[in-house]
Amino acid sequence: MRAVDIFIQQILNGLSIASVITLIAIGVTLIFGLTGIINFAHGEFLMIGGIVTWLAVSAGLGFPLAVVLAILAVGLMGYILERGLFRFTLERPTNGFIVSLGLIVVLQHVVVLFWNPNQKSIPRPLTTVWEVGGVRIASVRVMVIAITIAVVALSFRMITASRYGRALRASVEDRDTAALMGIPVRRYITGVFVLGSALAGLGGALLIALFPITPFTGGTMVMKGFAVALIGGLGNIYGAVAAGLILGIVEGFSAGYGFSQWTDAYSFALMILVLIVRPHGLFGGTSGPRMAS
Amino acid sequence: MSPILAISGLSKQFGGVTALAGVDLAIEEGEILGVVGPNGSGKTTLFNVVTGVHRPSGGSVLFRGQDITGLKPHAISRAGIGYTFQQAMAFAGLGVLENVQIAGEHVRARADSTANPWPTPQALLDFVGLSAVANEKAGVLPFGSLRLLGLALALATRPSLLLLDEPAAGLNDRETTALVGLVRQLPGHGITVCVIDHDMKLMQMLCRRLAVLDFGSKIADGPTEAVLADPKVLEVYLGGDL
Amino acid sequence: MKEGLRQDRAGSVFKALRSLLPVLVILALIAAVPLFSPSNRFLSLAISAGINVIALYGLSVLFGQTGILSMGHAALVGVGAYAAAILARDFGVGFWAALPAAALASAVFAMIVGIPSLRVGGHHFVIMTFAFGQLLAIVLTNGGDYTGAATGLDLAGPVTLFGADMSDLTRYYLMVVAFVTSAAVASWAIINSSYGRTLRAIRENEKLAASLGINVGRHKIGAFVVSGIFAGISGVLLAYFLGHISPSQFSSFPSIYLALMVMIGGARLIEGPLAGGILVAFLPEVLNLDPVQSRIVYGVCLIAVIMLLPDGLIGGIVRALRAAFSGKPKQETQQRGAAEAQR
Repeated sequence: MRAVDIFIQQILNGLSIASVITLIAIGVTLIFGLTGIINFAHGEFLMIGGIVTWLAVSAGLGFPLAVVLAILAVGLMGYILERGLFRFTLERPTNGFIVSLGLIVVLQHVVVLFWNPNQKSIPRPLTTVWEVGGVRIASVRVMVIAITIAVVALSFRMITASRYGRALRASVEDRDTAALMGIPVRRYITGVFVLGSALAGLGGALLIALFPITPFTGGTMVMKGFAVALIGGLGNIYGAVAAGLILGIVEGFSAGYGFSQWTDAYSFALMILVLIVRPHGLFGGTSGPRMAS
Repeated sequence: MSPILAISGLSKQFGGVTALAGVDLAIEEGEILGVVGPNGSGKTTLFNVVTGVHRPSGGSVLFRGQDITGLKPHAISRAGIGYTFQQAMAFAGLGVLENVQIAGEHVRARADSTANPWPTPQALLDFVGLSAVANEKAGVLPFGSLRLLGLALALATRPSLLLLDEPAAGLNDRETTALVGLVRQLPGHGITVCVIDHDMKLMQMLCRRLAVLDFGSKIADGPTEAVLADPKVLEVYLGGDL
Repeated sequence: MKEGLRQDRAGSVFKALRSLLPVLVILALIAAVPLFSPSNRFLSLAISAGINVIALYGLSVLFGQTGILSMGHAALVGVGAYAAAILARDFGVGFWAALPAAALASAVFAMIVGIPSLRVGGHHFVIMTFAFGQLLAIVLTNGGDYTGAATGLDLAGPVTLFGADMSDLTRYYLMVVAFVTSAAVASWAIINSSYGRTLRAIRENEKLAASLGINVGRHKIGAFVVSGIFAGISGVLLAYFLGHISPSQFSSFPSIYLALMVMIGGARLIEGPLAGGILVAFLPEVLNLDPVQSRIVYGVCLIAVIMLLPDGLIGGIVRALRAAFSGKPKQETQQRGAAEAQR
């Protein structure tokens, strides 16, 4: 393979990783940026999405149906947890954060309890590999990238263009005033939480289509999600996409050129750096909703 | 005699908005000065810039001839300027006495402290009339008592100048009168006072001299009666509190 | 009047001492356990619990008093443990000399993490500490021979005290109990000092604290450094107890467990860290749970404590007991009545 082919190959690999990271990051940026809930268990939501996909495929269902099930299951889980737990922590985000840490432990080990801690994988839903010039393109990676682009575009439209989205942003600016204007703020918070959770479910389904996962996959993924969300600026979907792309491609390259043991370090190092230099992220965002503290 | 606090040409911009447009103000030793103005006139910005919450865009603040422009809030307090907030008045989760103890532990002794020892936390609680609730949690106090505790906290920092931001907001008439009684005693203890408020009734009770801000500039400064008769001031307050 | 004041002061010292007493009694009982020839398994569990409790006392100063949550606390323990192992390997430094050195190393690391993290401030701070914890684990894993990479380092030095070998399990147990006692007393001394008051003021209201001359930023970093000292000492004890350390012991998830323990025990009470450390270590034994089940139970406990008992389990029990027996509420109403009468 020529150097330029390897280069293009790495970009493609990076893009597919970036897709999954972006899906998590959008969930994080919406939930943290718009509702103020710091849900570190978001990575476990992703992992559950992967497990549901694995269970469905193992039971003989097709991959597309498994993806739908993963989205629905994790969305429902998000609904229950927001209504049952996070809703009561809205005024004290640190408590919500601690609750999410408890959830991490619970969700991981419930999965271990029922389905053991080993790696789980599904047969690749698409096996075709195209050869263009010297570059080998796995169709499954293209699928992941395409689905992500579609979903990101849809979420972006929902948040920026719809009546729902406008009301939502108003309630970020000032919860009390929005409530006075008749915007059902609490219901919107639930809505955002469920949307973010569903995206994590999708991310999990796409992740297991690319790589095997374990019950502990969520841990590093959520840190990347938070890193990307904070780098991109909280509540800023554009920023999350841009930062997700940067991070995914940097990781893809470093793995491709023999620095794979450091890949996990980039997101943390980059996030720490960005937060110190530009606390509102590279592309600007909310600093989180104003909170009673 | 040179003023205890000399503000000259102080300005502050937020983005493109001018909140303070070159304010000059001198606070004389031993007086109770009132700074008034309608909402948005720059009163609170002036307070925040002097106390170090915001950095000024230009101008200077001299405290007893010493340049304190742009110092951090805790450094302002240590230099000898006490101040109270409209909102944050006391540490709700801590005891009333503990509140005042904390307040006295982080400031240098005043120069005249050997001749004139500063009151103990207990004595300060006596002064504001809260010694009976010294062992309660501050959070359980009624609003009026919280204001008084806030005053005790500021006094515990051994200030020679005390800045009060809307000290009577939310108080009923009886509580306001009690507060005015306390503040009036302060110059006798060597504390100069500057009250920032839009409540003219309170100002008339407290201050012999008033400075009026409007749109970030000082439009009047002088004896209270003269300022209140000033047509420019009347125009600002037309239909307002007067 | 003066007489009354002096009595008051003596009273408050007495009250403070009384708050330490239950902990000292419990620790004395714990120190007497070897008399009943416990199993080796019990002793090992108790030693691990005690080593955690030392770090928890530091965390309680940070979280309970100052109101700052660190999710990377295991990393500070790890710095202490690696400092001990590397000092022993490269410089032949023994246990006792390693203690101050490791405490210093952890304190410096805490400062390095604390300065940028606290600058970022607010709710981002916890995320920063979490990220620094992860980063440390990655650095240790990629440190090659110097840090022993993913396998970690061995540490085979003997621990002696006045010529006696302390490596024996019972002796090590007693030594750890002594360290836990020192940690409890140190944390008690901080809580009851003017420094503790300063930290509580910051916890309650940073803006007001600054207006009273408190340098909020410096004190927050200071509290972080203090908690680092506790963590460093805990790390040395851990390294010498296990004889082998590896990066995964100090990554973010051990940090979560530390936070969980301090939360379950209650961060503001002097009994809290002790209770949290012991409960989390022994609960699985008592309930006969396997590690997976016990972790699920911890997670559920953590959520339940936060939602239902914000002062921690012990705080909740203490409050319930007070309400049930001592008639404290009645006393409070009397006081308020007196206050009203005075007016």
